[in-house]
Amino acid sequence: MDTPSPHATSIIDPTLLARVVKGDQQAFSQLYDYSSTLLFTLAVRMLGNREEAAELLQDVYLEVWRKVSRYDVGRGTPIAWMITLTKSRAIDRLRARASRGYRATNSLEGGMATQVADPAPSPLETQADQELRTAIGAAVAGLPQSQQQAIELAYYEGLSHTEIATRLNQPLGTVKTRIKLGMSKLRESLQQWGHQGELQ
Amino acid sequence: MTHEELEESVPLYAAGALDRSERQALEAHLLSGCVSCHAALKEFQSVAALLPLALSPITPPPSLKATIMAERNPASIPAEAATHEPVKQSLEPGEWMNHLFPPVAPAQSSSLPWALGFATFLVVAVGGYVAWSVSTERSVTTSNIQQLEASLKETSTKFANLQREAGDQAKALAELRNELQQRTDETAETKEQLTQREAELEEIRVQLSQRGNTRTVETPQDELATLLRIPNAKTVSLAGSDMAKQAAGFLLYDSRTQKVWLYSVNLPESPAGTTYQLWAIHDKPVSIGTFNMDSGKAAHLLVKKAPSFVDAKTFAVSLEPSGGRPQPTGQIYLLSQS
Repeated sequence: MDTPSPHATSIIDPTLLARVVKGDQQAFSQLYDYSSTLLFTLAVRMLGNREEAAELLQDVYLEVWRKVSRYDVGRGTPIAWMITLTKSRAIDRLRARASRGYRATNSLEGGMATQVADPAPSPLETQADQELRTAIGAAVAGLPQSQQQAIELAYYEGLSHTEIATRLNQPLGTVKTRIKLGMSKLRESLQQWGHQGELQ
Repeated sequence: MTHEELEESVPLYAAGALDRSERQALEAHLLSGCVSCHAALKEFQSVAALLPLALSPITPPPSLKATIMAERNPASIPAEAATHEPVKQSLEPGEWMNHLFPPVAPAQSSSLPWALGFATFLVVAVGGYVAWSVSTERSVTTSNIQQLEASLKETSTKFANLQREAGDQAKALAELRNELQQRTDETAETKEQLTQREAELEEIRVQLSQRGNTRTVETPQDELATLLRIPNAKTVSLAGSDMAKQAAGFLLYDSRTQKVWLYSVNLPESPAGTTYQLWAIHDKPVSIGTFNMDSGKAAHLLVKKAPSFVDAKTFAVSLEPSGGRPQPTGQIYLLSQS
């Protein structure tokens, strides 16, 4: 394994991708180190098991390697791009499963918020990552359970509001409101956190 | 959907909760250039991109990296990777909106990343705007081409319809022309019939007027007036004979209608058992009719269908036994002067 660098997962330098584009093996290795824990966590959360999450990550990194030249920094950070790729490939798998009648068991591995009060920092994590993680965890944990649940079903299981309403046996309007309120509160919390950060 | 409804759906879009059709509706709205929805979407997308950070980190198995690095086939790096800088090629259309993420502090910065700070959204906004423009331009071009194709198709259809309509109209026009010709023929025929009818009517009118002349027997004055209007009616004056020197009369007759009208004054009263008889005399006398004088000094005789006396030159009235006689037997009272 490469020597940990001070890079944070959330602040992968776009120039690293430029090096990957040029076929720099070292750069690709670094990219993996910076991003794999977050993407694997996301994949496990969505798919519900580590084996399939590992398979998914193989697909995702292969796609990153092939499509990296199409990454456009103007459209978001490298990690956001990789999160999107992971999410859409995971949703593809979830839908394929649904068509085979597979019952999802992924909720066993915890909800959207950090379940452990203060997880031990990964060796690759910087202080910046930790603070960000804490802030987001707190913002999510501050939501009412019903709002967390609705957002979680949409975000991690790829369900539409109609499907969520059916799953929860709730009126469609209620589900929409929960997602809207939840997302708005998250936005406010993170904006406040950002402003406080600026003041420090 | 209204703008309000679309704006309300932005957080749902960011969370991935919209149905396909709603997603497309919002994307179309964003491409139309709604600034407020675009701004809202950026914020919510930033939030959504951070959500996985709230999960408890799970470290991937150490073998995974080796597998991925081994699987990665350098040969599969396509030609597109040959450029020296990260080319600003677009992601798939529509996918770009999922990539909005607050830019973070550069790697060398060890301080807290203000990436999530509101101010740093501006950096994303600039980059996002460039991408937005490119994507919008491409979408607009594509949609323009589609619109042009659609309008071309529509125009062709319209043209075909017009041609068909023109054909129909020409046919209708020909039909109308035929009909007009038919009507013209009918009109000519009708006119001919009308002329004929008018001629018939004229004839009938003449006949009626002739019958009218006949019918006015009840009113001798009318009968006299009618007879007077006939241009060819002949007038004959009668003078009293020695038997009745005071008497006089005149006679009107129309040889065509064979009507005779006699007017006399001052004839003596015809005694019982006698009657006056009018005669037309040519070679021999022909009785025209009889009449009586009761009292008063004027009398008239109308004969509707007198025997032919076309050549008669002399007329006379004699007093005969009742019922008249075939030949004059009594005294002559009136005699024509010509």
